[in-house]
Formats: sequence, structure tokens, C-alpha cells
Amino acid sequence: LKTFKVVSQLVDDVVVLSPEGYLNNIIGEELNRECRSTLRNGRKNIVLDFDRLEIINSIGISILLGILSDIKEVQGTICFSNMPKLIGDTFDMLGLKEHMCVFPSTEDAIEHIKAGQV
Amino acid sequence: MRNETRRLVYNIQALSDLSNEIASSKDFKQQIRSVLHVIMGTFLAHKGAIYLYENESAAGSLTPVAKQGFGRLPGKHRVRPDSALLALEGPLRLQDDGTQDDVHPIIGKFRDKGVDTVVPLRYRDKFNGLLTLSEKFTGEPYSVDDMELIKAVGNQIAITLHNHTLFMELSEKLEENRKLYEEMRVIYHETVQAFAAAIDAKDPYTRDHSHRVARYVVAIARELGWSENDVEGLYLAGLLHDVGKIVISDAILKKQRSLNKAEIMEIKRHPSLSYDILSKINFPWRDLVQTVKHHHERPDGKGYPDHMDDHNLSIGARILSLADAFDAMTTSRPYRKKMDLKAAIEELVRYNHLQFDPQIITAFCHALEKEIKGELPEPNIIPQLNVDFDPAVITTMLETIRLELAEPFELGGGMRTRTAAG
Repeated sequence: LKTFKVVSQLVDDVVVLSPEGYLNNIIGEELNRECRSTLRNGRKNIVLDFDRLEIINSIGISILLGILSDIKEVQGTICFSNMPKLIGDTFDMLGLKEHMCVFPSTEDAIEHIKAGQV
Repeated sequence: MRNETRRLVYNIQALSDLSNEIASSKDFKQQIRSVLHVIMGTFLAHKGAIYLYENESAAGSLTPVAKQGFGRLPGKHRVRPDSALLALEGPLRLQDDGTQDDVHPIIGKFRDKGVDTVVPLRYRDKFNGLLTLSEKFTGEPYSVDDMELIKAVGNQIAITLHNHTLFMELSEKLEENRKLYEEMRVIYHETVQAFAAAIDAKDPYTRDHSHRVARYVVAIARELGWSENDVEGLYLAGLLHDVGKIVISDAILKKQRSLNKAEIMEIKRHPSLSYDILSKINFPWRDLVQTVKHHHERPDGKGYPDHMDDHNLSIGARILSLADAFDAMTTSRPYRKKMDLKAAIEELVRYNHLQFDPQIITAFCHALEKEIKGELPEPNIIPQLNVDFDPAVITTMLETIRLELAEPFELGGGMRTRTAAG
């Protein structure tokens, strides 16, 4: 039986969240909770590591839009890393990719945030 | 794959997500929240809400049932039956110039909160809700194709809202009926109890007899694993078993000395009289009237009025018979004093297979034992007893009786024709 979860880790001042499996309402809500909790704790820099994400549906997209809006509202920074091609193509097709900072690796995304280049 | 084709595939997948959510077994709140997410994810709206329209007596109201992204959206809003909002046929892009405010005051409030488009939700051409969406996250306007699809999706949401309204209406009706039934049931029980008290009041020595018998039968029936519905029927039989005594003259019922043969014959008419009175009533429990008629029948065939025996006597009548006799033994009469609990139980055992059924004696003993040990949340026997007893002695006695009654029985002795009480 496949289980889905969101792994969270703190690297310096950056919170790295790694959702696994299918980003639908179950994982999406958990990811949303983690992001809100991060912002409530005063941390505004988040990397969403999609290395273990396999698929995303319309509910997952909606939840991601909510997260992007929340971060924008507090003038925080959110970067994406290890984006699978299928999911990257979906974002591209929807015209979302130009509103996202996507990096090949989590280390690159963290470096980018730390350098204040975003 | 071309971008248009990929977008088409994505939209079809989103429609499939929507169908899955609508058909899911989630509760309405979760379901409508997921539906809103599907729509927002499909059209890239970063804020959205769904309102339910409920048509009450004079005016209807709009109530938010799901929202995402919007901070404080207008809450419940009254809508007049002649409001132009109810006549909206398709999606409405909100204009900044306030020219749409005459549709409904809520439109202006939506615009102030960043709503870009409102979509009327209609089921069978009847307005039943509203979908509100912010502008797209990408800043692009909604295309004509988007608007067409939003309208189609709106119809799906309208079905979900309609099902919810229908379910809530049915739930309300069900709850109303349940309350009405409960009230009628209470009135019914109180009426029967009052009637039973009136019967018992004919003779000061039998005051509350029917009430106690009713509680004893409940204890035994529950011990035998009867359903609560059947227990209730037997409880009523317990309350009403002596209703026929209302016809017997007070001179006989209250006589202080022993009765002559004719008077005994008259008293023995009461089960048949109870039957005659109660058979005019259509009780929900088919066996209730027969149970009352046979509460003086015996397994050995020496009871009355129909001289039934072990082969055709109902379990209900056997329970009622024991309860009736036990109460008679443990309460005083003008011609004798009441027995103590130990003696009464011994009497039940003495007439095992003759007047009483061993299965019923066992059940009664077990129920009493459990009550003494405090194992039953609602005791029915002990609170009725007006006799002193040593719990340890009685418990040991009851355990022994239960073991003895589990062994094979042989009829014997001349005591078979004797009667314990009742």
C-alpha cells in the first residue's frame, strides 16, 4: 500500500518541504498546513522539493496557487526544485512557470535564496 | 503535443476530478471544498467561494459554504424574490464603475473583496447558488472558452448544492418525525402507566403491582437477549396484565377473608377479561394481548384460562407469569405476610417445570445476581424490592440455582399441583 506524506526540513533559514506521490487534496492540504505553519513561525523562505512528487491534479494546482499567494502576501520567497518533466510541462502549459522560480536541485534553490537573488 | 491539446487534456482531467469529488462519499463540507479547489485549479483562480441559496418563506438567503483565499467575504445575505441576481443566466464579469450594483447589493461587496467573476448556479433553471472567482493568478483575463466551461461546471456544482439541500430537508423532516414519535411514545407510556396505576389502586394491597411486574419482565427479557422493541412490548404487557380486574367487583378484590369457590372463579376471569379489553386495541406488538391472556398459564397444564402447557405456552407469557408470582410472593396480602427474598426464590425453584419455566427462572436469577453485583447500568429488580436481604447469601444461592437448573430435570412428588402465588 502506497503512503503519501510531506517531509519537512530546515536548512539554515530555509524550510524545505518535500511532498511525495500524488499532489491531490490529501497531500495538498498537508502541504498547505506545513506552509502556513512555516509562515506563522516567522519563516518566509520555502523550497518545494518535487523530487518525490509523481503527479499533480487540479486540486493540487489550486492549493499551490494558494500557497504562492500566501507567500507573496508576506513578501516571502518560494522556489521549486527537482521538478519532474511531466509536472513541469503542466505548469508550463498553464502559464504558471513564468511566475515560479524553478531550480534543478534543492541546493541551487537554497543558494539562490541565501544570495538574495530572488 | 500542442499546447491547446495539452490544455484540453488537462481540462478533461479536471472534469474527471470534479465528477470524482461530486460522486465521493465525503461529507458536504469536504465535498464542496474539493469541488471549489478543482474549479480554481482548472481556471487558475487564486481565490474563490461557493454560496448556497436557500429559499425560505418570504425571502431567500445566500450563505457561503466554501471559500479559498478570500479573507472576509460577505456572510449570510438575504435575497428578495424579485432580485435580479436570481435571474442571472450566465457568468458575470464585475465592472469597477458600479453599474452592476442594481443586480444586488452583494455585488458591490464582492467587487471590493477582489471578486472578478460571479457565476449563477442553476438546477433545472432554478437559482440555487453562486460561484465567485478572483482574477487568474497569471493576471490573464478569463477567455470565452473559460467562460463556457465555467458555466458547464457551474451546472455540476448546482447539482451538488441541490442534493445537499434535499438531504438537509429530508434530515429535518426525519428529525421532526423522530421527535413527534418520541413525544407520542412518552404520552402513550404515561397513559398506560396511569391506567395501570388506576387498576392497582382498586386494591391497596396491590398498589404499584403492575409497575413492579413490568420492571421484572424487562429484567428477564433483557437477560434473555430480547431486542429493546420486544422488551418494550413485554413491559406494556406487564403494565396492563391485570386490566381485567377493573371489571371484578371491589367486594371480591378487597375481601379480607379467604374467597369461596364462586369468588375464586370470578377472580380467575381476569386474564380473559384483560384479553377482551386489550384485543380492541391495535398494539404494535402482535403477541402482547395473548401474553396478557396467558399470564396465569403453567408449563404443567394446570393454569387458566386455556389450560395451555409446556408445548404451546409463549416465552412472553412464561416471563410474565414468573414476574407476577414473584411480586405476589414478595408483597403482603390481607391473608398472609410477604416472603423474604430467599424464601421467594426457593419457591420459584420448588415450582420449576410445574408453574415456572427453568429457562425463565435461570434468567431471573442471573439478572438479579448481576444487579446485586452492580453489573447492570439500569437495575430493574432490586429497586422494586421492599424486603431485606444479605447480598452475599443471595448471590451464592443464585449461583447454585443456576448451576442446578442447568442439569437435566425429572418430574416428581405431589407438589406438582400446588401453586406458588400469583
